[in-house]
Amino acid sequence: MAAAFALPGGYVTWRVIGGTESPLALLASHRTLAPLWRTVQLAVLVSASTAVLGTALAWITTRTDLAGRRFWRIVVPLPLVYPSFVGAAAFISGLSPGGIVHDLAGDLGFDLAIRLHGLTGAWLVLTLFTYPYVYLPVAARLASLPTAFEENARLLGDRPARVFTRVVLPQVGSSIAAGSLLVFLYTVSDFGAVHLMRFETLTQTIFRTRLFDRDRSFALALLLLLLALLVVAAERTIARAGARRGALLAGDGTVGDRRALTVGLGRWSVPATGLVAGVVGLALVAPAVSLADWGLFGWIRSRRGGASLRLDWGDVLGPTWNTVWIAAVTAVVAVAVVLPVAYLTTRHRNRLGGVVNAVVVAGFAIPGLVVALSLVFWTLHASPFDALVGSMPVLVFAYVVHFGAQAVRTAQVAVDTIPRRMEDAARLLGAGRVRRLATVELPLMLPGLAAGGGLVMLSTMKELPATLLASPIGFRTLATQVWDTYEALFLPEMAILALVLLGISAVMTWLLVVRRSDHLR
Amino acid sequence: MRDLPNNAPRPFRHLARAAAVALVLLGVTATATACAGDDPDSLTVYSGRSEKLVGPIFEAFTAETGIALEVRYGSSNDLALLLAEEGDKSPADVFLSRSPGPAGFLDDLGMLATIEDEVLERVADTDRSPDGTWVGFAGRGRVLVYNVDEVDPADLPDSVFDLTGPEYAGRVAVPGSNSSFQDWFTLFRLRNGDDVAIEWLDAMVANGSRFYPKNGAIVEAVGRNEIQFGLVNHYYNFQKVAANGDAQRSANHGFAAGDDGGLMIIATATVLDSSDEQDAANRLLAHLLSDEQQAYLTGKVYEYPLALGVAPAAVLPPVPADRVGAVDIDDVAAEFTRTIEIIEASGILDQ
Repeated sequence: MAAAFALPGGYVTWRVIGGTESPLALLASHRTLAPLWRTVQLAVLVSASTAVLGTALAWITTRTDLAGRRFWRIVVPLPLVYPSFVGAAAFISGLSPGGIVHDLAGDLGFDLAIRLHGLTGAWLVLTLFTYPYVYLPVAARLASLPTAFEENARLLGDRPARVFTRVVLPQVGSSIAAGSLLVFLYTVSDFGAVHLMRFETLTQTIFRTRLFDRDRSFALALLLLLLALLVVAAERTIARAGARRGALLAGDGTVGDRRALTVGLGRWSVPATGLVAGVVGLALVAPAVSLADWGLFGWIRSRRGGASLRLDWGDVLGPTWNTVWIAAVTAVVAVAVVLPVAYLTTRHRNRLGGVVNAVVVAGFAIPGLVVALSLVFWTLHASPFDALVGSMPVLVFAYVVHFGAQAVRTAQVAVDTIPRRMEDAARLLGAGRVRRLATVELPLMLPGLAAGGGLVMLSTMKELPATLLASPIGFRTLATQVWDTYEALFLPEMAILALVLLGISAVMTWLLVVRRSDHLR
Repeated sequence: MRDLPNNAPRPFRHLARAAAVALVLLGVTATATACAGDDPDSLTVYSGRSEKLVGPIFEAFTAETGIALEVRYGSSNDLALLLAEEGDKSPADVFLSRSPGPAGFLDDLGMLATIEDEVLERVADTDRSPDGTWVGFAGRGRVLVYNVDEVDPADLPDSVFDLTGPEYAGRVAVPGSNSSFQDWFTLFRLRNGDDVAIEWLDAMVANGSRFYPKNGAIVEAVGRNEIQFGLVNHYYNFQKVAANGDAQRSANHGFAAGDDGGLMIIATATVLDSSDEQDAANRLLAHLLSDEQQAYLTGKVYEYPLALGVAPAAVLPPVPADRVGAVDIDDVAAEFTRTIEIIEASGILDQ
């Protein structure tokens, strides 16, 4: 299984060996070091800010009496679904003079004279679009945690803030680390947002040189992969140390106890609502308003007899259906594939587990274009499979290899959640392996698995390069249609398609993620 | 799936059912895809041009000839990399690229067939490769886009060299990482020599010119007066005006005839050497260059037609005199690498 995940890395290594540039030699050059340093800077900043933001949002929406919690739980993860270039473009254009958000704020008396670009711009946009990587696993973990400790701590007179730092934080620490790691890897591999924010990272250099300096491009991709492996290994070491501490707390909990534990927000309810609404407003609504503005403009224009909208039902319906089913299938397959990996790496702690973990997780840092090219390369060179090039299984395979990382870390945390006692009890009662898995372990892991699957699903829905290059010819998703209209600069049409993508993701997040984890309450 | 006990919790039966449906779907589509390639009456096209722009041309071809087209859309550079990876096994018969660069890349790999003379002769010598491996079918002009509220048309510059002057300090956007800009800069360099080109770019940096990644982003920024001028392709402002009407506060300005600032970037069509359908592929190229489709490209897509005898739409700025094909580039890859090096060294990407 891990070998499959190693395919992109193997391909890049193979190309570097056959090429003329050595990644280590490139490291000595300013042309490499400057973007590398910028990449690390940005990734660290974004990981840190999303860790704080994602955790805060998760706690507020799962553990407090915040009004409209169910609604917030559906919309808070959604910014993840903006294709990076669309989200950033809508964000920038909405906030700039002439943009709808800027003008509305102006009407209310605020002067938003912000020129977003460079490190600040990239940091802000990426934080707003990637915090769900932390939010979803942490919220899932909170939903499945035994509440006994928190109740005890509160009965003993601890204030909520103290309960949070002393009891909740140690228990969700591994989920926060898992989510921040995904953010780090996403930031490292992101192209769209940094591109629009004019912030030259390593991935940008890889893209710029990909055609006319392929050797350098591949050498830099290998460098990116090595950076990712380093970070994954570091995170694993830290997570394990954390897990040992966390285990003291979690190991003895009463898992069956799922009474809702809610903290009364009291006078904090206004700031808490403000925070959640503010984040959703900036990350989800502001870009959506820009999109709606563009879309509506096109619609009104066509109603007034101007240029008609160059979009028909066929452009929307087929791609919508394709998006829905391919994302759902990929999510299910990804969870099924990474579950054994999660068991191997958490239950049997050995060196092999560490390597497998690193290989699977680091796959996320490789740009989607490279993942797609590598799968084409390998399928063409493995003769019984070459007929499969450009088929659905290869596309799903590409998605799983690229996004499996998002499910594996949450799955590992989920496996860790199962108290050994419970498994032992089931075994003593004579339950076989399959039955234990189906009746005891899977239900306990469900929130975590659903969160991981949800991340994979949302990522698949917006994935572009792999979809364009590795799909069967003529396979269209909403993301490819959004890109096509964006390339042609048909902004009203692009906006309408992007809003459809957003709506569909909301429905699927509710059906497959929120409802699944609420099911157990 | 039958192994699941009947008392399995509900969600898992859903998951199991979803997985079963997924497997069936995968199987069905895989079979469908495998059959498609056997049809001798279809061609496979890799298109670096957006479906919204060239889709109608493809539909007309199928309607006329009965030859179905299977089209993979993507960015020209990515598709060229995919073709290089697929090599002889590529299903593609025809590749359309936004600019001659990706075509040159494939030519260097020996992957392009020679196009039939009748097709090549539809365009001027300057709009096709000397060895007949690619033919241009549409052009986009390099122009200066400006904000109509801030700039008096009488003050517009005749030459791209004027932009280093003090009146343009901090007011010009340069898309340094954009492939069209790099196409233009490569030619600018070859015509004027590296020294002049480097001096110009350094002067632009010293003059506080700002870097933007894309043509579209520049036209938007100029439209909202974030910056007043930008070096872009003419096409983007037309699309913005088509979408926004008078609310779009930007306009195109073509440099004086013969100035190095003007240049036509031509979209190219190529036939893959590995294709078994050379005749049909050439027919598709001829169709692209037919009077009717050329009229569509200029009338509806606002591009310059390249087929001889087809006039550009009246709204377009005068046809730029120069085009990428006009200078014979020996080693495309080496020249573009050099261009990228110079652009990086100039510091424009950090502006």
